[in-house]
Amino acid sequence: MKFNHILGLLCAASISMFVAGSASAQDKTVKIGAIFPMTGNAASAGVHAKAAIETALDIINNAHPELGNFPLAKNAGLAGLGGAKVEVVFADNQGSPATGQNQALRLITEEKVVALTGAYQSGITLTTSAIAEKYGIPFVNGESVAANLTERGFKWFFRVTPIASDFAKIYYEFLNDMKATGVKTDSVALVHDNTEYGTSVATVITSAFKEKGRSAPIDIAYAANATDVQSQVLQLKEKKPDVVIMVTYTSDAILFAKTMQALDYKPPMLLADDAGYSDPSFIKAVGKISVGAFNRSSWSVGPPGSPTAIIAEMYKKKSGDEMDDTAGRQMQAFFVLADAIDRAGSTDPAKIQAALKATDLKPDQLMMGYKGIKFDDKGQNVLAAGVIIQLQDGENYVAVWPKANAQKTAVMPYKGW
Amino acid sequence: MSTILAQVIVGGLLLGAIYALFSSGLTLVWGMMNIVNFAHGDFVMLGMYVAYVVWSLFGAGPLLGAPLAALLLATVGIVVYFGLIREIMKGPMLAQILGTFGLALLLRYSAFWWFGANFLTLPENIVGGTFDILGLRIQASRLLAGVVALLVTLGLHLLLTRTSLGSKMLAVAEDSTAAQLMGIRPDTMQAIAWAIAAGATGIAGALIATFFYIVPTVGETLAIVAFVTVSLGGFGSVPGALMAGLLIGVIESLSAYLIGAVYKDIVVYSLFLGFLWFRPQGLMGKS
Amino acid sequence: MRRFVWASVALALVLAYPLVFSSPFQQRLGALVLLYAIAASAWNIVGGYAGQVSVGHVVFFGCGAYSAMAAYAHFGLSPLVGIPVGIVISVAISAVVGVPTLRLSGHYFSMATIAVAELARLIVTNTDYLGAGVGLSGPTVPRNIFDLSFISALPYYYLFLAVLAITLGITWWMASNRMGFYLRAIRDSERAARSLGAPASRTKLYAFMLSAGLTSVAGALYAMMFGFIDPESGLGILISVKILIMAALGGAGLLFGPLVGAAILVPLEEISNNLLGGKGAGLTFVVYGAIIVLIARFQPGGILTLIKRLWARPRKTPTAIAVPGASHAP
Repeated sequence: MKFNHILGLLCAASISMFVAGSASAQDKTVKIGAIFPMTGNAASAGVHAKAAIETALDIINNAHPELGNFPLAKNAGLAGLGGAKVEVVFADNQGSPATGQNQALRLITEEKVVALTGAYQSGITLTTSAIAEKYGIPFVNGESVAANLTERGFKWFFRVTPIASDFAKIYYEFLNDMKATGVKTDSVALVHDNTEYGTSVATVITSAFKEKGRSAPIDIAYAANATDVQSQVLQLKEKKPDVVIMVTYTSDAILFAKTMQALDYKPPMLLADDAGYSDPSFIKAVGKISVGAFNRSSWSVGPPGSPTAIIAEMYKKKSGDEMDDTAGRQMQAFFVLADAIDRAGSTDPAKIQAALKATDLKPDQLMMGYKGIKFDDKGQNVLAAGVIIQLQDGENYVAVWPKANAQKTAVMPYKGW
Repeated sequence: MSTILAQVIVGGLLLGAIYALFSSGLTLVWGMMNIVNFAHGDFVMLGMYVAYVVWSLFGAGPLLGAPLAALLLATVGIVVYFGLIREIMKGPMLAQILGTFGLALLLRYSAFWWFGANFLTLPENIVGGTFDILGLRIQASRLLAGVVALLVTLGLHLLLTRTSLGSKMLAVAEDSTAAQLMGIRPDTMQAIAWAIAAGATGIAGALIATFFYIVPTVGETLAIVAFVTVSLGGFGSVPGALMAGLLIGVIESLSAYLIGAVYKDIVVYSLFLGFLWFRPQGLMGKS
Repeated sequence: MRRFVWASVALALVLAYPLVFSSPFQQRLGALVLLYAIAASAWNIVGGYAGQVSVGHVVFFGCGAYSAMAAYAHFGLSPLVGIPVGIVISVAISAVVGVPTLRLSGHYFSMATIAVAELARLIVTNTDYLGAGVGLSGPTVPRNIFDLSFISALPYYYLFLAVLAITLGITWWMASNRMGFYLRAIRDSERAARSLGAPASRTKLYAFMLSAGLTSVAGALYAMMFGFIDPESGLGILISVKILIMAALGGAGLLFGPLVGAAILVPLEEISNNLLGGKGAGLTFVVYGAIIVLIARFQPGGILTLIKRLWARPRKTPTAIAVPGASHAP
């Protein structure tokens, strides 16, 4: 008798689940998946990415008239879908391409997300977006810079951020302009780690410089997560380059700053390639001894009261840290995705893909300093741009180049401490 | 030119002393208790966080941080010993790797959960600045760590060879059954050995925090260095760990400077393997 | 008879798993369990049966993975070509490394294997031909069935099951032959075994080489399933530790120990990641680590030994006067 009762209950339960399932077919929420490193060595970036996206969700899902004409801020929810709210399911890629792929599969097939964003490390973005491509789910990336990501002939992958070749171009032009003001920029040393980030960026910079007729940079490579960087700094001290370009993650960036001070080495010009030098942890830890460091960024806080300043304030409340370029780029990618879904007026992945292809956002609709958002047929944003910023007071970066975007003039030489 | 080379060597010695400092605890337990501790790097990490908390609560440096770290970590060590180590010691090496690996994850991500993923540092000037001696630049914080490394090595060595506690611990390591017959309780001795090792590791962490960054995953970076240092020095030999540490530090520095930083670890590992084949017991281990 | 019934039930469950649990994620999870079981079972040959705890087995895993990807990336061939190449290279490496290191005692041997694996990782990280830090990718769009790049995990599941069956078959055959006999003797006491005439060095070396070859197959399969390999995912020490703890947790030296260990640890890691990973508080690994600690503490011999003990208890008939070693399964 008891068994029949249980059987009956189970039937009732499963029927109600089916009914409930089909009832929720008319979704009032749009589910997006976000895969980032929440544990492991890059966890700091992942945790900040989560805060950035949660801030974006606040802006999208609630009415924020103070942000003016910033896309998706005016209304609560997505107007194009009748006010539907956006929901993000976060997943941890644990710094592993395999885990990233597994989580992507779960988000697509179990959580039924309509689009994905992520995944920070280029190698993980590679495997994760491959799954999205196989399942026909749009994948919008905001921060991975490896060139091969848009060279795979994928139709569902979109990258919002500028890539290494864009940065190489920016550095080249910046150095030329500095030379015109009388600064010596002939010999360049390129300090980079041997991860996929450091290697690919360094290779692109070296070949771009050689192509444009500059002498090849002095290559100082090292293994990431070093216990000591004294020898590298001593090599720099010996070779006395005019410009040192640093392509490092946060941990090594902090070590380099400390070691340079310990060994009393001040390069005439120090130019960082985002990553470590943009991390709020870096600025808190060694900002005061890295005064004058240049960095490339697409983020600038802007004057008080501007949408970017308000967004920075909201982000700081959520994460406890100042907005940095990487988190900003991730947030921007998320806005691009949400905007496309809004324009598509549907959660059908094919419609979202079409809307993404048709994206044409103007600079004043963005939080990042890009020239706009327009994807070419490889999925790369061709209007991605960056500026050069400088850590002039050891606490905050200000834009110093190009002239059109400069808030202050560049201060030379590098002051350090 | 030669000043730079001298700087490289001196830097290497200081680096090596630091390697020895955080490896001394590991060699003690490895030699005495035959325990492979995969969580060692994370004990160092805990010591670093203790130093950070001490600074953020009291504004104090390693003078307060190191002793406090020693005490706290020794306590953690005792808890871990009775909770886990005593059981897995009875098992095969595999059980020890399994257990200490799980412990490593537990410690690492508990710290992550509590402190977050950000990189933390102690202020530059918490231990003086940088000296200029004969044209060489020496960081006071690293010099302090180096001096403490020597003191800790000396202290542990004297403890083991000159005190009755030490000889009891060695007796248990040599033959625990015989030691029991002599009235020595192996359990107590091993717990003490483990606590002392953890305490030494805590001191190491607190000092390293004065010049390195603090993050929950820092143990991963340091653990493997400690393993190599300890095997090169000979399992169980604290002076061996010191010698090995210094040797590795200098070789690392020199190869990074002369050949290139990406190759320095290749040189160290190749040398290490060579050593294992010709003198497996390490520099000062028992054959 | 009882054993036969249970074995058939288990086999039927394993065969039917992806058809019953047919969501893509569940199928993929199953395939992943089998993949790690292959690697762990291969490790088991030298780590469990021969008692030589290698903590650097990832070097063989990487051989297979990189051979498979290089075959595609540099020669346009199907990654399957990489399997025999990987086997040859890893067996060669194991022979070269094994001869001098297998004579080292326990902990020194383990340290030597760690050093070899790290050396391989560092060298590959600095070798452009093998992708350096960036890594190598496999076919993004499969050209034919031999590229083994499937959307569904179902073909992977059955492929891995077949390879696992072969691996376990080889292990069983080895264990029930003279080599297995020597290995058991060596594991219990090498000195005694030698004094009785067992060719200890040669036996250990063969076990090492066999283990290496099979591990490289697992690596190649891994690379084909994920379509990408880099120094961290193909030669990182974490993989060595993972396959080791799977074998240890399940029961090293037992035929099905690694499978049991993989069946516990892989879903555990995935599920705790699914539930806790997105929160960003690191709880995934707190839970995962705690569970491993508990199992190590309370069952150092592995889960399978516990199961075997529970299984054996009811059989307390007087006729079953156990002769040690005579009736135990490999």
